[in-house]
Amino acid sequence: MASMKSKIFKLIAILVIIALGYGVYMWFMPHRNIQNTKAFATIDATTLVNEFLSDNKKATNLYLDSEGESKVLIVTGNIATISEDQLGQQVIVLKNASDKMGVSCTFTVETNKQVENLKIGTPVKIKGVIRSGAEYDEDLDLAENVIIEKSAIVK
Amino acid sequence: MKKLVLTLFIAVISIAAFGQNKLSTTSGHVKFFSSTPAEDIEANNYKVISKIIPSTGSVVFSIPMQSFEFEKALMQKHYNSKKFLDTKTFPKSKFKGTITNLTDIDFTKNGTYEAAVTGTLTIHGVSKEVSEKFAITVKDGNITGVTEFDIVLADYGIIFKGGKPSTNISKTVKITSNLNYSKESA
Repeated sequence: MASMKSKIFKLIAILVIIALGYGVYMWFMPHRNIQNTKAFATIDATTLVNEFLSDNKKATNLYLDSEGESKVLIVTGNIATISEDQLGQQVIVLKNASDKMGVSCTFTVETNKQVENLKIGTPVKIKGVIRSGAEYDEDLDLAENVIIEKSAIVK
Repeated sequence: MKKLVLTLFIAVISIAAFGQNKLSTTSGHVKFFSSTPAEDIEANNYKVISKIIPSTGSVVFSIPMQSFEFEKALMQKHYNSKKFLDTKTFPKSKFKGTITNLTDIDFTKNGTYEAAVTGTLTIHGVSKEVSEKFAITVKDGNITGVTEFDIVLADYGIIFKGGKPSTNISKTVKITSNLNYSKESA
């Protein structure tokens, strides 16, 4: 009888430890490492923009994730602009001269240095996570680029 | 007479040129902050698109919702999920409004002006009329805009029943935005 009780006690103790461990894991769950995540596809900037412009719903369904863990992409294209955002992150827009919209790729504190020697017009390959698609909002009169973040140059 | 015509001509051209000017940014900062006795939650977004047309007083914002970053990965997942902001279905929040006291603001003269902005804010697919103050600072040709206001989540159909989120996320969250605009000709 006593051994039965101690078995039940042990079982409960194990379950409590598992539950606590799971809780701690969830609490400290690290953010996804974009650069260590396998890219879903390698795609040309113009093609990516056009996928959103021709069928926004279809492209959104394909690339965005319902919990924010959207697709990691390698985007190829020519550098149209290089700037810095308000957090000091470098931003490269990939866009062909004939296109209305492009792909805006934001680097990170760790990858900012990769942008230093790049020049306008140079073709590059950039890996990052997609946050939103391209869109021309007639109501707001805004041409919105595809937004890629956590970027790094791919050789 | 010739002089007058020429002066008028230059005046018309310069008004037209100024009228074409837009102030825009694609890297504005928006933060939201929620505070409850259980915990404080903060998220930052540096990919906010905004445009002001000084001649008409038009102000627009477009906020890519998946660009909000949280300290904790789990919170970020919850925030994006169908139960909360449902960012896959509603990837952007938008604002379209106008400055109602445009005559009080001189975009060409150094100073800080309090703009009264009225318009429609769309979050989570729900649109609401809002009126907020927008502090516009002009300094040596650089223009920044700062605003801070509260939103009631339930107004935008963001309702959580029971569980941890209902005690850890406040019903009203504070939105702060800080944008550095640059000049862009149309």
